[in-house]
Amino acid sequence: MISFINKSSWLTKVVAFLLLSNLVSVNLSCKKMLDVESTRLATEEAQWKNLQDTRSGLMGIYNLMRTALGNNNAHWLWGEMREGDFTASSKSDLKAIIRSDLNASYPLIQNITNWRSFYAVINSASLFIERSGEVVAKDPRYSKLNNKVDIAQARALRAFAYFYMVRIWGDVPLITASHDGTFEGKPRTDQAKVLGYAESELIAAAKDLPYRYGVDGDAELPGLYYGYNYARWAGALFTKISAYAIMSHIAAWQSHYLDAAVYTQFVMENYKSSNLEYVTTAQLTASDGIFNGQDARIPVGFTFSNTYGESTSGGHIEQLVLAEPLIAKQIPDLYVSKDTINKAFTETKDGRFGIDTLSGLTRTNYFLNYSGQIPVFSKIKVLRGGTTSGSFVIFSSSIAFTRLEELALLRAEALAVLGQRQPAIDLLNIIKKNRGTKSFNDLEGLDLINEIFAERRRELMGEGWRWYDRIRLAKIKGDDAKFNKLIAEKGIYWPIAKDVLKANGQLVQNSYWK
Amino acid sequence: MVRIIASMSYTALLSVLCLSNAAAKAGKATPLNYNANLRQDTIPGVKKKAIDTASWVNNVARTRGGGDSLNVRLNALSPYLSLQQMLKGNVAGLYVKEVSGEPGTEQMMLVRGLSAPIFRNKDVNNIQPIVYLNGIPLIQNNNYIYDIQKYDFNPIGPATNLLAGIDLNTIQSVEVIKDPVELAKLGPLAANGAIWITTKQAKSGIRQISVNSYFGIAKSDHASPINAEYVNRFRKPFYQKYATPSDVINYPGYLRDSTNLDYYGPSKWGDLYYKTAPIHSVDLSISGGSERANFRFFAGNTKSAGGADNTSLDRYNTSFQINMSPYEWVTVSSMVNATRMDRNRNRGIRDRFAETRYIPDLSNPLPPSREIYQSFLDEYEKVIDENRNSGVQGYFAMNFKVSKFSLLTKLNFDYNEGIRDVFYPTTLMENNNYVSNYFGYNQRFGVTNILTFDQKIGTDHKFDFEIGQSFQSDLNKYNYANAYNGPNDFIKINVVDGDPNKPLYLTPINFMVYRYTDREQRRLFSVYGSVKYKYKDLLSISGLIRDDGSSTSQPGSRWLVTPAASAQWNLKNQFLKGNTFIDQLTAEVSWSRIGKLFNDDRFGSGPQYRVENGWGAEPTIPGYNGLATITRPYASGWVGYDLRWPYTDQLNVGMNIGLLNNRLNASLTFYQKDDKRMLINTPVPTETGYASIFSSGLSVRNTGIDLGLKGSVLRKVDGLNWETGLNLNVNRNKLTELPGGLKELAIGNRKLIVGQAVDKFWVYENTGIYNTDAEVPNNPSNQEKLNFEGTTLKAGDPKWKDQNGDFVLNDEDKVLKGNSMPKLSGGWYNEFNYGNFSFNFNVIFALGQKALNEQAANNFDFINRESGNDIGSIKEINSWQAYGGDLGKYPIYNPWSSVVAYRLDQDLFLENAGYLKLRSVSVGYDLSKLPWLSNSKAGIKRALLYVTANNLFTITSFSGSDPELIDYTGLYSGYRIAIPKTFTLGIKFDL
Repeated sequence: MISFINKSSWLTKVVAFLLLSNLVSVNLSCKKMLDVESTRLATEEAQWKNLQDTRSGLMGIYNLMRTALGNNNAHWLWGEMREGDFTASSKSDLKAIIRSDLNASYPLIQNITNWRSFYAVINSASLFIERSGEVVAKDPRYSKLNNKVDIAQARALRAFAYFYMVRIWGDVPLITASHDGTFEGKPRTDQAKVLGYAESELIAAAKDLPYRYGVDGDAELPGLYYGYNYARWAGALFTKISAYAIMSHIAAWQSHYLDAAVYTQFVMENYKSSNLEYVTTAQLTASDGIFNGQDARIPVGFTFSNTYGESTSGGHIEQLVLAEPLIAKQIPDLYVSKDTINKAFTETKDGRFGIDTLSGLTRTNYFLNYSGQIPVFSKIKVLRGGTTSGSFVIFSSSIAFTRLEELALLRAEALAVLGQRQPAIDLLNIIKKNRGTKSFNDLEGLDLINEIFAERRRELMGEGWRWYDRIRLAKIKGDDAKFNKLIAEKGIYWPIAKDVLKANGQLVQNSYWK
Repeated sequence: MVRIIASMSYTALLSVLCLSNAAAKAGKATPLNYNANLRQDTIPGVKKKAIDTASWVNNVARTRGGGDSLNVRLNALSPYLSLQQMLKGNVAGLYVKEVSGEPGTEQMMLVRGLSAPIFRNKDVNNIQPIVYLNGIPLIQNNNYIYDIQKYDFNPIGPATNLLAGIDLNTIQSVEVIKDPVELAKLGPLAANGAIWITTKQAKSGIRQISVNSYFGIAKSDHASPINAEYVNRFRKPFYQKYATPSDVINYPGYLRDSTNLDYYGPSKWGDLYYKTAPIHSVDLSISGGSERANFRFFAGNTKSAGGADNTSLDRYNTSFQINMSPYEWVTVSSMVNATRMDRNRNRGIRDRFAETRYIPDLSNPLPPSREIYQSFLDEYEKVIDENRNSGVQGYFAMNFKVSKFSLLTKLNFDYNEGIRDVFYPTTLMENNNYVSNYFGYNQRFGVTNILTFDQKIGTDHKFDFEIGQSFQSDLNKYNYANAYNGPNDFIKINVVDGDPNKPLYLTPINFMVYRYTDREQRRLFSVYGSVKYKYKDLLSISGLIRDDGSSTSQPGSRWLVTPAASAQWNLKNQFLKGNTFIDQLTAEVSWSRIGKLFNDDRFGSGPQYRVENGWGAEPTIPGYNGLATITRPYASGWVGYDLRWPYTDQLNVGMNIGLLNNRLNASLTFYQKDDKRMLINTPVPTETGYASIFSSGLSVRNTGIDLGLKGSVLRKVDGLNWETGLNLNVNRNKLTELPGGLKELAIGNRKLIVGQAVDKFWVYENTGIYNTDAEVPNNPSNQEKLNFEGTTLKAGDPKWKDQNGDFVLNDEDKVLKGNSMPKLSGGWYNEFNYGNFSFNFNVIFALGQKALNEQAANNFDFINRESGNDIGSIKEINSWQAYGGDLGKYPIYNPWSSVVAYRLDQDLFLENAGYLKLRSVSVGYDLSKLPWLSNSKAGIKRALLYVTANNLFTITSFSGSDPELIDYTGLYSGYRIAIPKTFTLGIKFDL
């Protein structure tokens, strides 16, 4: 201590040095010091600079679409529940949806009647279409062709979002630019116009979309796509077939069956280029089957691949319908009652579900625990990467919008409506044969269209089609008084969430739900 | 401008230091008053000389009637663990609520009301006052952890209250700073108020040793336990009245079988759940040294316990201070504190599943049987749940005094880290096990330079100038990994493939592993200058201007210049010099504007792109098809370019009076606090894709009165002495502005209306029940019945008031009712001394606030709750207790109704939550004055033996277990552990 005091001049110098360095380092460079780059976001300036930005941006759109359909398991609540084949065991909100009591005051219903997440897809797609071109000039690795394909995907995704929304809400505001940074509400646009826009966008996108991604020597898009090969991309991105599949549905939804026939014809003629194929019952229902992760046989699907750690508990029909013995849950939230099963599956040899008349045993591909009070709908049961272990309940099944069987049946429907019975029957019989059921015979006097829809009911159960199928059937047949009244009164559409209405004064509630 | 002046002044000062050694040596001898330097000049009535830190702070406290500073001496007799507990009810204008009796859980403080509305519990973190420990601004946890969480009950990680790391026995004084100019001097960190802790200081003189210790118990009251029969009987009327056959079939399995003794047998879980737990504390401090060099050392250990569910916290503190004065004109002082806390957390199911984000089938809750609960606890033995926080903080300061100049330069650092290791065995998680590891740290580094000098003109005029500059750099970071479904309950770590030649090198072998990390860095640079003018001993006026730059504000508006001013008039000296009745009478006015820091670095960047995968219930999906995604922040909210610094304007008008030889002191302060230009997430048309945008322009005004009273009612040297103190705060908040000229804004379950308070509940008014369908009113215009958002009301549905008379019940018919914040809060202490005996007690109260009883709503809404199988369906073991309150006041509604009859947002569940608590009672006896001790050579100055009891009783009409357990949004969930009673026997030795 004493020696310390004696070294007076030394101390002074130290002090002076400390202060000076303080002064210099802190005061003079303070401007720079306050420029802290956040590691938690990308600024406006940092985005749209290179290949990674466009790739992340594009994946972002797919991700938002997955969110729109997966959040609250909405894809199935919209498509499968209303007066459909499923019964709710105890959840009051699901019961309300099933009985079409959509004004009921449950948070779930408020959440799934809010269309914001679709507009997030639309906005991000518009933004991508507007901005991704900038990267072509900035990053030589990002080719014009690559950009063209990316933009085509964004357009197709945006069109798909519009189509999906129109099915639920009817008229929706049509917004075709990002209006980045402005937040104005728009009134609703007539649904015919919205669908017309979606169709034209898809036609344009289909021109640029390839059949496959990341294939060496491919005619349309040769070489790796964003550095990854075909295995990485198969089933994950929209292809030319995806665009035509959605167009087919847009046409069918509007009863434009002529167009639907044209578009489905394209699909039927070219599906092999995208490696689509008909699947066996085993492939359809195995836990590592067609629904597991990414699969080229699903042309419009959104993946939760376990390989990349994207398995979740929500966003899958399994969350709603699985129970013991597959997972440790006593009673499923939703189930298909025995009555309904017996009504839908009339043939004993049906590989999906049938009762062996001799042994009395049931086929378990679609339903487990048939002998119990509550059967478990187990068609889709992709537990964690396709395993069968139910000890940790997360799922990896993709949200499949369509697959070849669905498109074949749609074509059959279109052809049947247009009076081309035989080709329609042929398509229907492909499915029937694959499932081990009796072929449709025109001589038996059965109604072809009813048969096609009955087949759709069996084949597509749990894939989010039942509600829309019933609407199309009622439109074709016009003999279901209650349903046709619902269509006429626009009760087939869902109410719009109050948050949506509140945020935009130009919107009006769907008349049926006022 | 200010920055340039500051820089120039330093340069000038440096030249003085370097050149004029001789002048320096001529400087006056200065006592060691390092710590006071930061603020001493603003403290009225304190002479610059002859102070050490402790004395001036106490002096302030005295002049303010005890209203602004903590009575440390009395509080040291209670086994308080955290700073919040010490301050609760003890300082006017500071409102503290312990939302859980679990020791070491996060607690919140609010200075002078709510400066912003609270939508979720985590929002409270953004309006916390800053705590200074010997001038070191303590860094707290960052809210970013909630980005990866599904539920915000607790943050991931140890979730320990960092302010529980300060040992009460090392504290000399705690002052709550509310004066606008003083806050302005501290800058943007102090925009929500500041709490200034001064530890006991190193002192010159002969060696001093203090030993404090206590032992005691923490004890919770047993609840009245129930079994399934109670629940069964509770539900019976609903089933009799409304159930359909299929509802009866769906009667919960665990209630169906009345022969099942697990559920229908004796309910004795309480014996295992509520256990009286020992608590203790022991610490030692030594100080000593010469005038030129002295030190203080402190070491202590404290164990606190919760009285229920085996919760406890173990804390180790050590602190070392050293001061030197190598020259008479230089003082060097430094301090290093180190703390470690280990926390035993509750064994609750909700907290566990909230962390694992995995909710198994909940249809059979944990039964009330003692045996089953014991077997649950046996399984829980396999759990690893280690929560450890360690921290060090310290400073190194040098103070130079050269003639009229004084320069303080100070480096300070604060670092704390939290570690949490968790393992849940398969038996607790439906054949799944779970591992998680968290490591996170917060660090703050700061440099402060303050130059002061004074100038006298004649004898009457005195000027004090001060220029200060500071730089601060904060860093928060965490790494977190959780893993599911390991191979068995013995392997508790993540095994990876160790062969570098394999393609799966370093990938997990058995567990499903998810990893998360986040990091945020912030910097703040400030300069200020202040002048204080004093005229005789009558009037003083100060002014201050400061300029702050923050890395979290946008480049275009990075800097904010703010002014402050105050005036103080000594009325006693002016008018009443000869008056012997009034000893002191001053009036003061103080005003300041202070910038408020953005709480997230996203606001500094303007429009941006973020990674937002998944959705609310699945926040952690890593990407799409294994690839990173980037999008506009559709879900979390658009950030535009036009965000400027929020700020707070504060005005104080106050008066202090001392009467009867200062035996009665009172201070009364009226304040108005306007927090302006704050950000709020406002909804935008959903067709834009955005859920909301961050808009600037939220303004909230808090007005109120702080009152402090302190009186020596009886004062006799040999007789009975009675000292009493009361602190009171009356506060009202009001929303004064919304962004974009909006008049009202509904966000979630809150509605903000300009002109109304921001803490109001937004509820339907319940007026009874419709017993028959015919009672439901008919709309005369279209003959339609009253409907609830489109659903026609029926018999068994509640009568909600149709406020606007349109025969549709919807949000328009909800009204703002009741406040979640108290209108009046405070505390009252009394201290009696007679000879060597002392007796004191402390009462705290908060009145005028309401709460929504979510627990009651859940009990009645059992149909939707149980079928939900979500986090709200979880039944803890302590849910097997009699439902609180008067159940008869709730009508028997149809619980199956799709209008959700027992919805929470109705005034049926709104309850008065005011309370008054006997917080502490203590009896002490000072042994040191006994002849055999006082004559001994040990030189014992004090040997206080005392007994204290805490939380003895609460007076309240609230039906839940404790009105303090209501969370900050005003909801009472009933999940939290009650605050225990404690009984301690302690001794304090000063040698």
